[in-house]
Amino acid sequence: MIVYLTASILIAAAAFFVRRERQLFLTGVLFYAVQAAFACAILFGGLYDTTSAAWFRFDAPGTLFYVLLCVVSAFAYFHSEAYLRDNDLIQTRAYSALVMLLTTAIAGSYFASNLAVTWIFLEATTLCSAGIIYHRRTAQTLEAAWKYVFVCSTGIAMAYLGILLLAAATDCGSLDYAAVAAAAPHGNALYLKIAFLLIVCGYSCKMELFPLYTVGIDANFAAPSPASALISTGLVNAGFLAIFRVYRLLAETEVFAWARSVLLIVGVLSLMIGALFLRRTNNYKRFLSYSTVENMGIAAIGLGVGGAGVWAAVFHVVCHTLIKSSLFLQMAVVRQVYNGYRINRIGDYIHINRVGAVGLLTGMVILVAFPPSPLFLSELMILRETIVGGRWWLVAGLLLLLCIVIYSFCSRMIRLCYQPNQDELHPSKVDRALSWSALSLLVAAMVLGLWQPDLLREVIDQIALL
Amino acid sequence: MILPLLLLYVVTLVYLSITERFRNFASLIGLQGWLLFGIALIRLHAANPAELLFVSLETLLFKGILVPWLLFAVIRRTRINRVRRSGSSQAGSLVLSVVALAVSASLTYYIADSTVDLVFFGVALYSLLSGLILIVLRQRIFSHMIGFLVIENGVFLFSTAIGVEMPLLINFAILLDILISVLMLGIFFTKIDDKLHADDADSLTNVKD
Repeated sequence: MIVYLTASILIAAAAFFVRRERQLFLTGVLFYAVQAAFACAILFGGLYDTTSAAWFRFDAPGTLFYVLLCVVSAFAYFHSEAYLRDNDLIQTRAYSALVMLLTTAIAGSYFASNLAVTWIFLEATTLCSAGIIYHRRTAQTLEAAWKYVFVCSTGIAMAYLGILLLAAATDCGSLDYAAVAAAAPHGNALYLKIAFLLIVCGYSCKMELFPLYTVGIDANFAAPSPASALISTGLVNAGFLAIFRVYRLLAETEVFAWARSVLLIVGVLSLMIGALFLRRTNNYKRFLSYSTVENMGIAAIGLGVGGAGVWAAVFHVVCHTLIKSSLFLQMAVVRQVYNGYRINRIGDYIHINRVGAVGLLTGMVILVAFPPSPLFLSELMILRETIVGGRWWLVAGLLLLLCIVIYSFCSRMIRLCYQPNQDELHPSKVDRALSWSALSLLVAAMVLGLWQPDLLREVIDQIALL
Repeated sequence: MILPLLLLYVVTLVYLSITERFRNFASLIGLQGWLLFGIALIRLHAANPAELLFVSLETLLFKGILVPWLLFAVIRRTRINRVRRSGSSQAGSLVLSVVALAVSASLTYYIADSTVDLVFFGVALYSLLSGLILIVLRQRIFSHMIGFLVIENGVFLFSTAIGVEMPLLINFAILLDILISVLMLGIFFTKIDDKLHADDADSLTNVKD
């Protein structure tokens, strides 16, 4: 792990100092070659399920999300090349280096086997993300970056207090997940509850959940679209995994039922906020970000209901990664066409970029969980588990909110494709290859909806085992 | 010896809730830095000498000197002196602060347990609540920065409470301070002033639905 971190950071540092765009491209190729080699070393080189440097472990959740991160980050990086073509080299190289550092920090948080190490890497993601958000150097991006750093830092500080409290409650002298999990059943219940509450509140800024979801929306809005694809999937998954690992270590304690109730409430509130704001916003990037809040709400509900809901929550997050990154990458092409994202102004996309429009409409169908969407499977499992648990009020609420989501999503996306356009088109030519490339992620998600490979099932089974 | 320092720390938190001038804010944050230095020195005297030296020096240099210096530099640069444009009563803020103190004390009493030093826990909790109150009640960005620093100090204080067993955690907390506070204070704040000319949070409302 140390070799991986050193290599990745050195390549990112090299990207800061390149003098030609060709060199930047080659640096990117080298960086993703390192990521691919590392993923292969874990999967096929015997690193899987081993520890590294006492602070990292290549376990099932880390490996699964890391493979997804590599794919999404590579797509985001190479789409960014086209997206930032008009920028000067100094800006582009800083952006590229920050994307590499963000990818490395997220990977570190995935593999961390220690609560404090997870926290450190999540803090590092705040710094990298802030630089990416501020990429355009405008007053709006500065405001978004300021809010992001400020709220994330406050949230992360709260999470740190929670971690300290967890350490104190379990009295185990180490913050290794396994050690804390072993000591947790004997811990003071009230301390454990407060610690969990602080950790969920703190990390909600990364997972884009209630209560600190707002910074994620602003970050996705201000960052370049390809980077938003990475932030709203790879980084969100880091937040999910951080909360999920704490959730898992409380599984044997007396407060587990309480922790599940907390996640249920947080999930329902997130779903509610996502559903309502999908109607309200007038910007397609914010629109997709609220969809992330909604989907993370569903994942939190999955964890909250427990049982098969946990499996469904993990599967939901995995598939959401592919779908949402595809939609954000399609939005980057939309910006190339209209030079903006205003919902009430732009339209007629089907006649301007047919491939992109098909990608968005297919993404819409998949994201609102119509078959063959993999989300159909996960949401159905969560609903079934909720019904089995006898929570009829929750089933009714979920169905109502999901109906609002479906209506909002369909009306907005159809509007983009078919309503008359009222904005001037950007003079640059549409790059259809980018639309095709983004569409490939969606196809991968659809394949998962129809057929889940045995390996994926086994890995998720391992992750969901409490 | 630690108890008087902790009490003085609580007094600075109460004073932060009623003061209106940014110079007082900066001075109080500086004083808190020195108090934390003293607390860390006494609390961790049994720890590894290298760890003790690192933690206490970091606390002194960073919390006691660098952060207050940066705060005064920001005040000089932006020429903002008061929390609000017009003078007004701070009674509401004081009442909330006292309520936060009562809540922290009650919660600490309620969860009385031998695994955690309760005085540290209570004061850290009060620090966290005071920081949140500052962020929520005050409009100017500078006050929000102070609120963040107060939360950070509270977290640091709590990490010292269990730091005898895990001094590494304190280093992590200091790392957070160095990375974030310096970034926010030294770079971001000057850029915000350059680009937005914002002396209050109302100006930061362009990014919304």
